[in-house]
Amino acid sequence: MNENIWVLASADSVAIATTLILAALGALFTERSGVLNLGIEGILLTAAISSFLAADASGSIWLGLLIGSLAGALLAGIHALLSVVLRANQIVAGLALVIFGTGLANFLGKPVEGKTVTTIIHPLSFGALTDIPFVGPIVFGQDIITYASIAIAILSSLYLFRSRPGLELRATGDDPATVDSQGLSVASIRIRYTLFGGLLVGLGGSWLMLAQSAAWHQASTTNGIGWIALALVVFAGWRPLRLIFGAVLFGFTLQLPFTLQAEQITFVPSALMQMLPYLATLVALIALSRPSTRNKLGAPKALGTPFVRDER
Amino acid sequence: MRSPIRIVFEQRNETPKYLSTLVPLISVIAALVAGALFLLATGYSPIDTYSNMLSDGFTSSRGITDTLGLSTVLICTGISAAFAFQMNLYNIGGEGQLYLGMIGGAWAGLALGDRLPSFVMIPTVLLLGSLAGAVWILIPAYVRSRLGTSEIVTTLLLTYVAASLVDHFVYSPGSFFVTKNSAFPQGRLVPDSASLTAFGDTSLYPTFFLVALLALVLYWVVKRTEYGYRIQVIADSPRAAHYAGINANRTTLSVMLISGALSGLGGAALIVGPFGRLDPGITLLGYGYAGIVIAALARNNFSAIIVSGILFAGLRSGGDKLQISTDTPIHIGVMLQGAILLFALGGEAFRRYHIHAVRAERTAQ
Repeated sequence: MNENIWVLASADSVAIATTLILAALGALFTERSGVLNLGIEGILLTAAISSFLAADASGSIWLGLLIGSLAGALLAGIHALLSVVLRANQIVAGLALVIFGTGLANFLGKPVEGKTVTTIIHPLSFGALTDIPFVGPIVFGQDIITYASIAIAILSSLYLFRSRPGLELRATGDDPATVDSQGLSVASIRIRYTLFGGLLVGLGGSWLMLAQSAAWHQASTTNGIGWIALALVVFAGWRPLRLIFGAVLFGFTLQLPFTLQAEQITFVPSALMQMLPYLATLVALIALSRPSTRNKLGAPKALGTPFVRDER
Repeated sequence: MRSPIRIVFEQRNETPKYLSTLVPLISVIAALVAGALFLLATGYSPIDTYSNMLSDGFTSSRGITDTLGLSTVLICTGISAAFAFQMNLYNIGGEGQLYLGMIGGAWAGLALGDRLPSFVMIPTVLLLGSLAGAVWILIPAYVRSRLGTSEIVTTLLLTYVAASLVDHFVYSPGSFFVTKNSAFPQGRLVPDSASLTAFGDTSLYPTFFLVALLALVLYWVVKRTEYGYRIQVIADSPRAAHYAGINANRTTLSVMLISGALSGLGGAALIVGPFGRLDPGITLLGYGYAGIVIAALARNNFSAIIVSGILFAGLRSGGDKLQISTDTPIHIGVMLQGAILLFALGGEAFRRYHIHAVRAERTAQ
């Protein structure tokens, strides 16, 4: 068996984890404020095609990343309007966003279907460091957004657990009535973090497009990564640091089918191999919901419930 | 209070009847208007697009039968979603259960061959498809009722697994479901005894009436039977249900299995109806996802689902033909679906609350 390919596979796992980290972090911030946004998959897709079109038109990856992230925040804004301001059913609103986002992305992507994006993100080069066996490609062979996503996750952890606004955010998700009695606006906090969450998901979608897919294949461009990201938040117990490890793990299952195919390991038919990431996520979710582990996970207590002051 | 004018949401004690009809209606219109603005902004003609969709979906006789034909499967996935949603169980994997219904139905048709008469074959195919749909939701339903694992992500993840399963059955060499020695992999047609005949040269099959009848039966079950009453009690207050001695776990399990079976039925209806074979193209059509929108628009009312199912079928079949008649991408159809649902959700607020602006001074208590 070729050892090199497993090194590349590990490097790929870390790379694919970038989208998962960013998308799951976006969901994490949103959920920590008490808003459940199931629309991640739709936001990823819309952000991906927006970044494709922007990068192609301008020739700048930075503009691509910016437009993609803003598109993410824009869609999240619809969710904030519906679930925070109009107190709609957040689950159905999220699903509506997936359907709307998928349709919108496919509509916008029609002219570039199957085409490759010309402006892509390249891995950074650390010279000799990148050539170190095993460690080199995994640690020193990634692009700037991958490193940034890990940094953002670490900063998010500090923000969430070591800062005043982080405390307010967590309190809003757990006990909005108390936050309200402190004179803070629950609605404004929830809207802000839903938008910020959308921005992060958008960045993840843009990266997926500009660094990984490089070609627009409609809904298969994201292929359910948004849903895996939502499961990842549960898996990580709503904690950014655990999320990094979870993302690499899930990233590994996402790239495994391709590695096995490249290695021509065919004892499992390739179509069945494609099921692996989804089945692995499913098993992880079920294992985590045993009563003994569930209480330790720490889901925000007011997740998915609109806050209505008058009814207090 | 920073602003002198405050928007107040006042919970309605009683929702006026007209609002329950008016809100979905206005949502549809608002979504179409928003869609028109979007089309204008992206350089397409909204008038051409809509008039083509309308004539292909609703006004020509060909269009109407196509719409009713397509609505068969959409009503199935709609009542499937609504059946679970009404108990706050969010089975959003109807899409995958639909694929399984197709696999199960095709398997039954092919395995039993041409030996049995139609009146045995058709029900068998439909039954096996429903069963396969129920099997596909078995694990999410079981862990939901036993461990409380949220069914939202689990049912959805299985849709991706189901899509791979369809690919596997169609593209793996020597598969039972495909024609042998064919140049390119193609699903094997089920025998004539397992196929219904469409009315005239339309694409409307008798299954439409079966499914519409089923929706009405479910309406009756929910409103008039003890089982339906139990569902309502659990939905309104799980705690009250507990004290009333209702076994919520068992009801959860059965409601989810029935929901899965209904989506499966939709897949099997495609086997006895227009498709006649396991077709990998099903994974691109999103009939299962559309069911979610249809159920939500009908506010989980089973008789209203027949109406919203037909409405959506018209939108879809009009949208699908759009590419031929104009240059507008067909995806506008799916976009409008999402937009209608978004507007309907926003409109809910106006149905549930009396929203009005008041001067801040006057609200001070």
